[in-house]
Amino acid sequence: MSENTGSIPRNPSLMMAFIRQIWNSLKLPLLAILTAFVLGAILILITSGSLTTLIQAYEGMIRGAIFKQRGFSESLIATIPYILLSLAVAVGFKSGLFNIGAEGQFYIGAIGAAYAGVAFNGLPAIVLLPLSLLVGAIGGAIWAGIAGLLKAKTGAHEVITTMMMNYISFRLAEFLVSGPLRDPAAGLIQTRSVSLQAELWTLFSIPERLQDPLNALAVAILMAVLVSLLARWFVRSSKDARFTRLSTRRLVYLGSGLVAGVIFFFLLPAFTKIWWPFNDLADRMHIGLFLALGMAVLVWWFMQHTTIGFELRTVGANPNAAKYAGINITRNILVAMGISGGLAGLAGTIEVLGVSSCRCLPLFFSSGYGWDSIGIALLARNDPFGIIASSFLWGAMRNGSDLMELSSGVSKYIISLIQALVLLFVAAPVVVRWIYRLKGDKPTSATPLTRGWGG
Amino acid sequence: MSTSLKTIPKNGRKRWQESRWTSWLIGGFGLLAGWVLLNLVISGKCEGSCVINTLSQTLRTATPIAFAAFCGVMCERAGVTDIGIEGKMLMSAMVGYAVNLFVFQWLQTFMPVQNAANLSRALALVAAVLAALPLSALHAALSINVKTDQIISGTVINILAIGLTGYFYRQFLSTNLPAGPGTFPFYNVPGLASIPIIGPIIFQQKPLTYIMLIALVLIQYVLFFTPWGLRTRAVGEHPRAADTLGINVHRMRWINVLLGGALAGLGGAWFTLEAVDVFNPLMTNGLGFIGLAAMIFGKWTPFGALIGALIFGLGESVTTTLGIFRPDIPSQIPQMLPYLLTIIVLTGVVGRASAPAADGTPYNK
Repeated sequence: MSENTGSIPRNPSLMMAFIRQIWNSLKLPLLAILTAFVLGAILILITSGSLTTLIQAYEGMIRGAIFKQRGFSESLIATIPYILLSLAVAVGFKSGLFNIGAEGQFYIGAIGAAYAGVAFNGLPAIVLLPLSLLVGAIGGAIWAGIAGLLKAKTGAHEVITTMMMNYISFRLAEFLVSGPLRDPAAGLIQTRSVSLQAELWTLFSIPERLQDPLNALAVAILMAVLVSLLARWFVRSSKDARFTRLSTRRLVYLGSGLVAGVIFFFLLPAFTKIWWPFNDLADRMHIGLFLALGMAVLVWWFMQHTTIGFELRTVGANPNAAKYAGINITRNILVAMGISGGLAGLAGTIEVLGVSSCRCLPLFFSSGYGWDSIGIALLARNDPFGIIASSFLWGAMRNGSDLMELSSGVSKYIISLIQALVLLFVAAPVVVRWIYRLKGDKPTSATPLTRGWGG
Repeated sequence: MSTSLKTIPKNGRKRWQESRWTSWLIGGFGLLAGWVLLNLVISGKCEGSCVINTLSQTLRTATPIAFAAFCGVMCERAGVTDIGIEGKMLMSAMVGYAVNLFVFQWLQTFMPVQNAANLSRALALVAAVLAALPLSALHAALSINVKTDQIISGTVINILAIGLTGYFYRQFLSTNLPAGPGTFPFYNVPGLASIPIIGPIIFQQKPLTYIMLIALVLIQYVLFFTPWGLRTRAVGEHPRAADTLGINVHRMRWINVLLGGALAGLGGAWFTLEAVDVFNPLMTNGLGFIGLAAMIFGKWTPFGALIGALIFGLGESVTTTLGIFRPDIPSQIPQMLPYLLTIIVLTGVVGRASAPAADGTPYNK
């Protein structure tokens, strides 16, 4: 292996170049965020007319997002759907599609989870939890896939079709929650609560959950796969002569996975019973975070290191060239919309299985996550790891805004305003460059997302 | 350069063009709506004035959709795609509402209540139109000068409008509101209003509906029968050729986008100055996007767009009538129909109509 561009170079001058490169790619987003916050501050100043309100507002936001009791974990909880939804939008963008229907697919995913979690009551968690997640994800994938199919077959532009399907899914959710899926026993209009086995585990409940051997087995298998993957990465990047033979390598992967699995299966339940850091019953933090982070890595790997991912990116970058190269555009549109919708649907399932206090789908389930995620994907330039960071920023702002409104009286909608401004500055970097007198590198010519509604 | 890109889905499109199943679907929807209405008529529940009410409500609900569609026509004929209509309408709805409310308070102090109400409503209408212009200017600057992707720029405007209106709503318009002058009253056109059937449907409406009808004729005339319209269309079809002939492409596009913004502003004013006397965040409910579908249905002509808008309006008003007489049908099901229809319109008619050739592409000099 010659040059590994991903790892940190050891040579000091190269190191400087590396840092400069990172700074160059972070410069614009950071300045965009800064400018948006400054403009937000100016608006607060103008509308309230006092400096103390402004300070109280921003102080309240930061305190609510991080330093308040359970503030940080609540911020992380809001981060989870943001990660998944903006991954959904980003996969679309990279494939040359603008899926603004993430909000609707989120609803469909939530409906799917609320249905599956109740309908398959009685199954053990090792089956029911993945099943509920899957039903929601597939629901979202089909919902988005319809728009993809229409685009591929008739040229109907996905921006309008997915938007319309948003409204349809809101009505559909209302209809199902107040009609067929309604829990007659509950006072509020909501679906039945999902089975305990379908719930996403809170971090607090993990020791208790692991007492069930089936659950422990599931965790052990997951850990075994992870360790095995880690071993594979380690072996592949090491230059040790002992690892050159393929059979040796395979032995290492398998062996490490097996050993890890066995250790985790027998020791983890007992260990967590003795010592467990998350002992706050009211903390709602749940394992969905790992799911979201895992999906980010998976999406990165899929887009960068698989043939289908390459095809998707090619279609996104230049559909003409892709068609000329013999890539099946119809199939790629379907795959891209399917993955995108699946991710958005998964976010919806997490909201039902892990976050909503009734573990069900209530009638007024407005989230707004889907709209915000467009901004996150643009801010992160569709990079999965950038998405994790930006999602946390958005989640923290969303979570902090409640305390901000409480302590300063400034409406929490200022958050969406600031986010819209960030989006504006990211979409038009010229403005930021002009404000800060940055020397611009050549504006990159992205493929336009639309050329008339007929495609 | 841009023409080569349009060839991609042609094969797929042709096949579906020939089958024309979607025009059957649209016809089917129209028949369904008509059938529901007829059913109500036959069962004796909706007859006479009820039918006329439903039809006049059709025109009324079609008004904001038509304005949105006109905005789309103005922009896209000049080669600028605009999905920020929704945001502009939301902004105008809020500003119109706020101006109506607070100017009335002020005017009341030194003039008779009736005059104050009339004047504040008129001022609110102007303010609503003006409120859409900054957003339009932003869209124009981003998509014409900076050459940002126009879909992204439109999305930015939508999200910005949601944030701005939400903020001002929570800050100033949600609690402790004074009594306002209310929405525009109905206005009967002298003479015409007394024509049987047609009179109550078309000529006993509120002012914005009349303005919409006037705008319809004006835009149709200006776009297709004046040099100005020819230039606009030239800029939208082949900007380079237009530029060669000495037309200032950027200037034409700017003016058209601003005019479109003013139309969207009128559409936004409809929500709070004509339909209901409250402002809610997100009250536009996707009508801006439905307007785009109506524009596509109408093949980028104002008259066609109005027909598209009327079909949506018919769906809405029949749904309302149905809700009154058949409360047992879950209201959400018929409420989905306009959105479904939009999708159907997109899949079918788009195949046969074609957008202005340079629609959505920035022009590099």
